[in-house]
This record gives sequence, C-alpha cells and structure tokens, in this order.
Amino acid sequence: MSFIEIRQLTKQFRQAVKEPGLAGAVKHLFSQKYVDKTAVAGINLDIEEGETVAYVGPNGAGKSTTIKMLTGILVPSSGTISVGGIDPYRNRMENARTIGAVFGQRTQLWWDIPISETFSLLKDIYEIPEPLYKRNLEQFIELLGMKDFLHLTARRLSLGQRMRADLAAALLHNPRTVYLDEPTIGLDIAVKQRIREFIRASNQERGTTVMLTTHDLGDIEDLCSRLVIIDQGSLIYDGTLAAVKDRFARERVIHFQLEKADLPALREALDRMPKVTAEKLERQHVSLRFDRFHITASEVASAVMRCGEVIDFRIDEPGIEHVIKQVYEGRISLDEQHADKQTAAGTEANRR
Amino acid sequence: MSILRSTRRTLFLYRRLFSTQLKAILEYQTDFFIMIISAVLTQLLGIVFLWVVYNRIPDINGWTFWEVVFMYAMIYLTEGFGSLFFEGTWRLGGLVNRGELDVMLLRPVSPILQVLANGIGMNGIGNIVIGFIMIGQALTKVDLHWSFGKLVIAILLIITAVAIRVSINLAANTSAFWIKNAGNAFPIMIHNLGEFAKYPITIFSMGIQLLVAVLVPFAFVSFFPAYYLFDKSTSPWIWLAPPVAAIYCGAVAYLLFRIGLRKYESAGN
Amino acid sequence: MNAWLRLSRSWRAYSSLATRSMQNTLAYRLSYVVNFASSFVLLIAMYALWNAIYAGREELAGMSWAQMKTYLIISFISNSLLSYYSETRISGKILDGSVSADLLKPLDFQKARLAETLGSTVIEGGLTVIITATVLAAASGIFKPDFIHSLLFILSVLASLLVKFGIVYIAGLLCFWSTGSLGIVWARMAVTSLFSGALVPLSFFPSWLEKLSLVLPFQGIVHTPASIYLEEVNVWGALGLLALQCAWVCVLWLCGKLMWSWAVRQITIHGG
Repeated sequence: MSFIEIRQLTKQFRQAVKEPGLAGAVKHLFSQKYVDKTAVAGINLDIEEGETVAYVGPNGAGKSTTIKMLTGILVPSSGTISVGGIDPYRNRMENARTIGAVFGQRTQLWWDIPISETFSLLKDIYEIPEPLYKRNLEQFIELLGMKDFLHLTARRLSLGQRMRADLAAALLHNPRTVYLDEPTIGLDIAVKQRIREFIRASNQERGTTVMLTTHDLGDIEDLCSRLVIIDQGSLIYDGTLAAVKDRFARERVIHFQLEKADLPALREALDRMPKVTAEKLERQHVSLRFDRFHITASEVASAVMRCGEVIDFRIDEPGIEHVIKQVYEGRISLDEQHADKQTAAGTEANRR
Repeated sequence: MSILRSTRRTLFLYRRLFSTQLKAILEYQTDFFIMIISAVLTQLLGIVFLWVVYNRIPDINGWTFWEVVFMYAMIYLTEGFGSLFFEGTWRLGGLVNRGELDVMLLRPVSPILQVLANGIGMNGIGNIVIGFIMIGQALTKVDLHWSFGKLVIAILLIITAVAIRVSINLAANTSAFWIKNAGNAFPIMIHNLGEFAKYPITIFSMGIQLLVAVLVPFAFVSFFPAYYLFDKSTSPWIWLAPPVAAIYCGAVAYLLFRIGLRKYESAGN
Repeated sequence: MNAWLRLSRSWRAYSSLATRSMQNTLAYRLSYVVNFASSFVLLIAMYALWNAIYAGREELAGMSWAQMKTYLIISFISNSLLSYYSETRISGKILDGSVSADLLKPLDFQKARLAETLGSTVIEGGLTVIITATVLAAASGIFKPDFIHSLLFILSVLASLLVKFGIVYIAGLLCFWSTGSLGIVWARMAVTSLFSGALVPLSFFPSWLEKLSLVLPFQGIVHTPASIYLEEVNVWGALGLLALQCAWVCVLWLCGKLMWSWAVRQITIHGG
C-alpha cells in the first residue's frame, strides 16, 4: 500500500442556475433550477512517502477540489483516500496533526498579531516540543529570510513575506505531508527561488511528501520529480518529468546574429532540412526551430554558417511550459507518446 | 485522551486563542471606548424607557419596576459575556462565506472551540458592568428573603444564563451553513427574541411564551431566575429549570453545528 | 444641451445603482424574509407589552389603547423603511475601506448611497407596507384618519425616510473615526429608538425630556408621521410638521455633504 492512495475519487457539485437581470432575480424567487457539475471524475493515484508531485491542470480542472479532499475539508462523493493509513475525512483531526498546507490565496496566519506570535500559537496548537520548535524556527527564519518582518502583523506584510510566513507555519510541526496550492502565485523571482529552495530542503532533509499545484512551470522544474496532469476532472498524465521532457520538449530554437546572410541560399538549405522551420529570416537575424530527434544542432548551425558569417548565436530550450501548453490546447494527447517513441527510435537508427 | 487532560487542553487553547484576540484588538481597535459607551448607552436608554413607563403605572402584571429591571439586566449581562468572551459565534457567517473556516478545519483543534474563541467584543465590558450594577440594585431594592443557599443558587443561575445565551447565539449563527450570503439576518432575528425575555413572559400570549421558553429558551436567562429569586414561585425546585435548559441548549447548538459542518464539507464554498 | 445630457446620464447612473440594489435585495430572498421577521418580532413584543400595560386602564398620557395600537404599527412602518441591512451597507463600505474605490467613480457618494438605499427600500419597505397595511385594514379598533390627513401622512412617511437616511448617513460617516467597529451604529440605534418615539410616544416623557426630543431631528422619523396619522394636529399643524421634516432633511443632507468632503480630505491626505 502506498503512502497516499486514492481510488476512484469522485466529487460532484450542485449549482443553482439563475438568469441575469432583475427579471431573472424575481423568477429565481419562485422556482430554482440546479445543475450537477462533476469536478473530479473517478481518479486513481498512488504517491510514495518522500515524493514531490506536481499536480497540474488548467483552471477549473479539479486541482483544488482534489487537494481539499486530500486534506479532509471536503467530503468525496465517492471513492476512497488513504494518507499514511488515515482517512483524512473520517479522522480529520488525527490527519491534521501530520499535514501542513498552504493555500495561495488564503492565509493561515492570524491577521492582527505579529508573525512570531502566530508561530508561538501554532506551537501550542500542534503541541510541538520546545527543542524541535526552537530548532525549526531558527532554521526557517534563516532560510526564508524572515528576520526583518517577524515582529510585523500579517496585515502589514507584502505578498512575498506573507507566503514565506505561511510556508514556515505549514512546516513548523514537521508534517509528513505538505500540500501547496499555488504557493508562488504573484511573487517575484527572488522570493520564488527562496521558497523553492526551502521546500526542496524540507523534502530532502525530512522526507516530507510534497504535493504541489501550480501554474508556474518553473516551480515544477525546480521541485518535482513527478508530474500529474488533470483536465476536466480526469487524470490525463501521470509519470516522471524527465519522461515528458524527453518525449515532447524536443524542439530547440537557435538564434543567429549574422554579418550578412545569403537569404536565397539559406532558404534553399532549409527546404532540404527535415522538420526545420524559420521563425525569423532577415539579413542579420535568423531564428530556426528544429526537432532534435530529426536533426542535430550542429547540422543546423553548419547550414547557416555556409550562408553567411555568424557573429553570435544562442540556443533556446523550451521547457515543460511548451508541452503543458500544448496539452492544455489539446494538441497533444499524451497517448501519442507511444507512437512517437517508435518514430524517434526509428530516426535514430536511420541516422546511424 | 482522558477527559481531564482534554478539558485542560481545551481551556488552555481557549485561553491562548482568546488572548490572541485581545492582543489584536489592543493593537488595532483603540476605539473600543466607543463600543463600550454605545453598549452602556443602549442599556441605560432601555432602562430610561422602563422608568418613563413606570412613572405612570405602579406595576405591570404584578411585577414592579426593579423586578423588571433585573430581567432587563440579565438579558444585557449575558449578552455582555457573550460579546466579550464568545464573540466568535457572530463571526461564523464571515468564516463560512470567505472560506476561512477551511483554515480552522486543517488544524488539530475542535472547530467549535476555534469558532467560539475567534473574536472579542469590547462592548461586552459595558454590558457586564452596567448589568451587574443593575442586578445589584434590583436585588437590594426588592424586598426578599436572603439565605446562603439562595446566594449560591443566584450565582449558579447567572452562570447558566450565560451558557444559555452563548448556546443560542451559536445555534442561531450556524444558520450561516444554510444561508450563504453576507446579509444573513437570521441570527439577529433570534437575538431579538430576547426582547420578549426582558419582561415577565406571563404578559404574552401562550404562543409567545412557548416560543421564548421552549424553542428559544431566553426565558431561562431572565424570567425564571427572577421567578425564583423574587419568591414568586410556588415550587421550591424551580431553580433547577435553568441548568436543565442550559444543557438542552448546549446540546442543540452542538448538534446544529455538526450538521451544518457536514453540509459545508460536502458542498465546499 | 450639454447640461441636459449630463443630467440624464447621471440620472441613469444613479437609477441603475438603485435597480442593482433592488436585484441584490431580491437575490437574498430568504435573508429578506428573515430581516422582516426580525423587526416584526420587536413589533409583537412591544404590542404585547403595551397590551399588558393598558390592562384595566382606559388611557395613559392622553392616549387610548386603540390609539396606542395604531401608534405602534405606524412606528413599525416608519422604522422599517430603512433596514439595519441597508444601514450597515453604508457603514460597511467605510469600515472595510472600499470607500476608496468609490472615490474613483464619477458619482457623488451621498447621492449614490441614497440611490442604493431607495432601491432596497422599494423592495423591503414595499412589502412591509403592504403586509402591515393589510393588517391595519383588517384589524379592529385601529384608528383611520380622514383623507387629507392620510395624504399628509404618506408625504410625511416619505419625508421620514429621507430624515432617517440623513441620520444614518452621518452615523455611517462617523465610522471613519472608529477603527473597525459598529459601535457608532449601535449608539445611533439606541439614541434614535428613544428620541424618535419608536419605543414610547413622546407624550409619555416628562415634559423636559419631551421638549428636548422635539428639537432633535429623530422625532421626524416616527413621532411626526404618527401624530399626523392620529390626527393629533389639524391640517395646518400637519403642514408645519411636514415643513419641519423637510427642513431637517435639508440640514442633514448639508451636514452629510460637509462631513463627506472633510472625510475625503482625510483619506486623500492619510491614504485611507
């Protein structure tokens, strides 16, 4: 049995349907109509202790609903969840002792008291032993750079400061599992990096299982070994990040800065090269997009160098964002991975 | 966890959460004098109204001025305790509508405790002080037979009165689980039923008497204690009624909260 | 031409505010019913209390039981035209700071709040009036005034609504000085309750208190319309009272305006 085991998890909501305007409001007084909406449709998921899982999907896909059910604050319509052997809904308080959570838009800090007081209060609530509390607090203050605002009330904090405090609050009691729902939303890059390092440290040093929902694909690259994608209530991908990148993040773009390109010659060369598209074709700037499974970077570069003097160049490696974007847009179905596997293997064999 | 240990932990956590609210209010709401004054004003003006009426009549249904003042004061006194120590009940609506209840559910602490300890209303101080003054005055101005037992029971009746008031507040505010909007006036409506209990309920129709004695038992906050203390009762055991009512109210409030919470957890927000 | 255009456009802005307020009030239909029930409870309590007070007595302070019954119902109508919910909407905006968003809108804050209040009053007050008017017509022993007095009464009720708005608005603005509590609103309610005659007719007061109440604006909310309805004044007297009400409406409106511009200066200097 895995640490977190989810079987056939389903959640449906009833929503009232109301027509707009004054007439609709009056009508609603007399007859109410409802419609059933399925947020999560029978998903199965296994997570081992110590894993860092990215739980990704477009807005409204069912991410937050799943997390709420995992933390025990929302009851499933059907299906089972087990976290460390505990049913989070039926044994909510027992489960609560072992989890930490950060919900991006909401804070668990008390609004009108200094952050340090919040931490002290949490120590009493989670019954954290004094030496552990002291050690964690010192380490967190250092890692998250909180010394400057420890004495401020949550109300007075900037978003970045608040998120750091929330993160510290979530991990103060050494939970076995931590759920992060959009923890870096709206933050600047410096704070994002600090937060990612902090989460990574917690996972590596204490073996905390991390489940992260985010739109920020930089978070995923930095923190997670596993990627689970949910769309319209169902899981459409569950596998390692590396596998996804190998399969789909195959495209590269090389930008060349040239002295004076011989464009007609270049165009001719492009026609002969498989799966290369020109993003920009000017006398002094050329950008070419190619599929690395079909042609190598050096082949592309050689072709360009034959058509003009190259002053400078740079290679862009589009990250996981590109893939996810395509999945959201429905352009790749992740079953294609089987088909492409064969194509890639075939091409490689041919080249040799 | 043994009963003793969990009781101690509950009281400890209540004290911690409550002092948090106190610190917060001392930090921000430096105007709580306005609140205290407004509470004092409200109570005093209510008694002025009584005085204006009693200026023209000697009694209402056999109840004299100070006896009615006692009932008034019990209503306000318990409201004061409710505001000062359990203001959180009135904030339940906000917690539910803004999804802040979720944060409480994530903690290994009883949600009811967190809700009860979630606020502090300084106006309670005004109500408590004036309430005690008025009760003191009433008990001295009315001619009654005092005994040590009666004194002990009087204190007990004040405690049960507070318990009943807080339970009714909590029960009324659980309506937030069903009425999901910011302008929920149901708790205020229930609170206003206390208006009836400012007067001897015998002046009202049977329907109202049942309402205020059985359904929303405010009568046990003011009327029945007065009934006992002013020796108007035929039965010497009448003083047992308010404690029984307190247990009944507490149980109903607890049940309503749990049912409402289950609904909250199935529908999300 | 331009002035007409501007006037009609701003009229449309305010009336759409009013309509939206109506919609909102309807949307919370259960809450409205509960709101109504809530104030109805107070009416019943008062009614039963006075019934017991009048037990075995013909008249008190010059009022018979029939007149008293009528008085209580009129008082209820006059008072419930502007509900607690409407009032806390105004003070709420100031307490939670959303008033600074209103500063950005090309609307006069005072007029906008009046538009919103009128919007919800149409629904809340409208239903209240219908229900209680039905009760009035059906119940026995209720005093019914002659035509002229009825007409003047209706005008007086409308004026009382504006007087109440003026008071409520100023109390709401006073919340600028409170740091987050409704204390000022509660104090206002207590003071208004007593001095408007909502709790007890002003004629019951000892004369010094009665004289004090008559110089305050609160009596315009209940005492004035009730006096007109009960024909305690003749037509000229009624017109005089109406004029006094209108004078108070103007005074309160101007005070509100002054306080608002003072408050705006505070916000823009101190940053809300």
